[in-house]
Amino acid sequence: MGDVSKLNDTAGAKRVIRRHGFAKPFWEGTREKKLVIQYCRATGKYQHFPRPVSIYTGRSSDIEWREVSGRGEVFSYSIARRGHPAFRGQEPYAVVIVTLDVGVNVIANIMNCTRDELRIGMRVGPCWLPLEDGTNLLMFEPDRAAGVN
Amino acid sequence: MSLRDSAIVAYAETKVVEKSDRDIFELDGEILESLLNKTGIEKSEIDALVVSGLTRTGAGNVFWAQTTADELGLEVDFCEQVHIGGCSATGAVARAAAAIDAGLCATAFLLFADTPVKEDNRRERDFRGEWTDTYGLMGPPGSFGLLTRRYEHQYGLDYEMLGKLAVTQRNHALLNDKACEKLRKPITVSDYINSRMIAEPIRLLDCVMPCDGATGLIMMSRKRAKEKGLSNCVIPISYAERTNYRGGEGMVDITWSGHEAAGQHALKQAGITLKDVASFHPYDDFLIAIMLQFENLGFCKHGEGSQFIRDNDLSFNGNLPLNTGGGLISTGQAACSSHNLVEAVRQLMGEGGARQVKDTRNALVTGIGWINYGRNWGSSSVMVLVPNE
Repeated sequence: MGDVSKLNDTAGAKRVIRRHGFAKPFWEGTREKKLVIQYCRATGKYQHFPRPVSIYTGRSSDIEWREVSGRGEVFSYSIARRGHPAFRGQEPYAVVIVTLDVGVNVIANIMNCTRDELRIGMRVGPCWLPLEDGTNLLMFEPDRAAGVN
Repeated sequence: MSLRDSAIVAYAETKVVEKSDRDIFELDGEILESLLNKTGIEKSEIDALVVSGLTRTGAGNVFWAQTTADELGLEVDFCEQVHIGGCSATGAVARAAAAIDAGLCATAFLLFADTPVKEDNRRERDFRGEWTDTYGLMGPPGSFGLLTRRYEHQYGLDYEMLGKLAVTQRNHALLNDKACEKLRKPITVSDYINSRMIAEPIRLLDCVMPCDGATGLIMMSRKRAKEKGLSNCVIPISYAERTNYRGGEGMVDITWSGHEAAGQHALKQAGITLKDVASFHPYDDFLIAIMLQFENLGFCKHGEGSQFIRDNDLSFNGNLPLNTGGGLISTGQAACSSHNLVEAVRQLMGEGGARQVKDTRNALVTGIGWINYGRNWGSSSVMVLVPNE
């Protein structure tokens, strides 16, 4: 187990991702490091993770995919001290929930972040971890351009 | 309400163990034999089998209820598996009562057996493989770490009060010879605070420990119970469950759970208020879940859980007895998480022994089932039980 004052970026984790067919637009967007998520035309709300229908109306016909900035703020976080099997040896690392500015929560890891910096309300932006198939994994990092916050 | 016409006439439990050296079907057999002995009924009178989901050993067998009936030589008219995770135990009682009331069956055997440590056949198909395993979110402790940190941000959290819950339940397990022996050792609040971090701020002593074991119940109509002279029985007078609470909404306050909705319904149906609750047996996969249930059921306002725990004596002889068998956390999470229900039945039958509660007018039992994406949990259940008058 590493120094608990630091946080691991988890770039070395051996991730195996089991993808659903209907999430393909999300993953295709990541090839160009674009965050593309589901939007419900009927209610004007976003949703994540991708679903087969709008969770607001129950209709797939209300769903479209929209690119969003990926900026937002930390909603909550937990620091894993005993990792998921694929993450053994990466501890300690942070799992965060980020509330995107478009009003939807997304779970990911945080990179380039110290333990002292990490707190609820911290501004973050997206960063991308390359995967073997040419897609990229959405991660977050502190938005230092947002200044002290 | 039909639930009131049915009765739980007997309960049975195996010892909870860290790892079973017996097959799950042998545990089933032990429970069946114990229930036949306690009730004096013949096997042939059992015409319903209700088994629980949340069995990791049975997972993967799509014929689990029928397989179990076959192993036990049971010929039944109602064969059911209840699949609402940790709500399955209370949910099974409600479904059995409904089936009895509808005339689908007369004598139901409810069986909660699982040996997940010995044999885990589970393979889940859900969002995790794509959206959370990918980020190393470590199962339930990881999810409850996120929930706890958010709670603390919104309201503040006195971890020593979670420690008080840990100690109270552990003291109860010391009096429960069916609890897992590894957990039958006294602990202090500082032991809780100093237990190692798993998924900050979740500590080892916040968590249930998966164990192996089984329990069972026999249910029948009250009329039939009376005819058979089974007078020491327990009546489920109300039940409500809610799955995917606010699931059709986007941003929600994750410190609110389906117990808010299910609790109001169940209490109203029972015709009691929280002030009338004589003992409380909440689902406890994590200590914070108990605090959240105090708040969501309305024992105290949201954010006041720490103060509520400080102000109340939750021991078996206190003003609000809590999980008097030790809860899942100090009994061991076995038997499809049915132990808190079975403990409530035992108490209302007056068979609590060294941990018998004084007030047996009723018991409030809850369930928590499944964990959703970045919120709290998937299903919430609430049941009120009373002794046969």
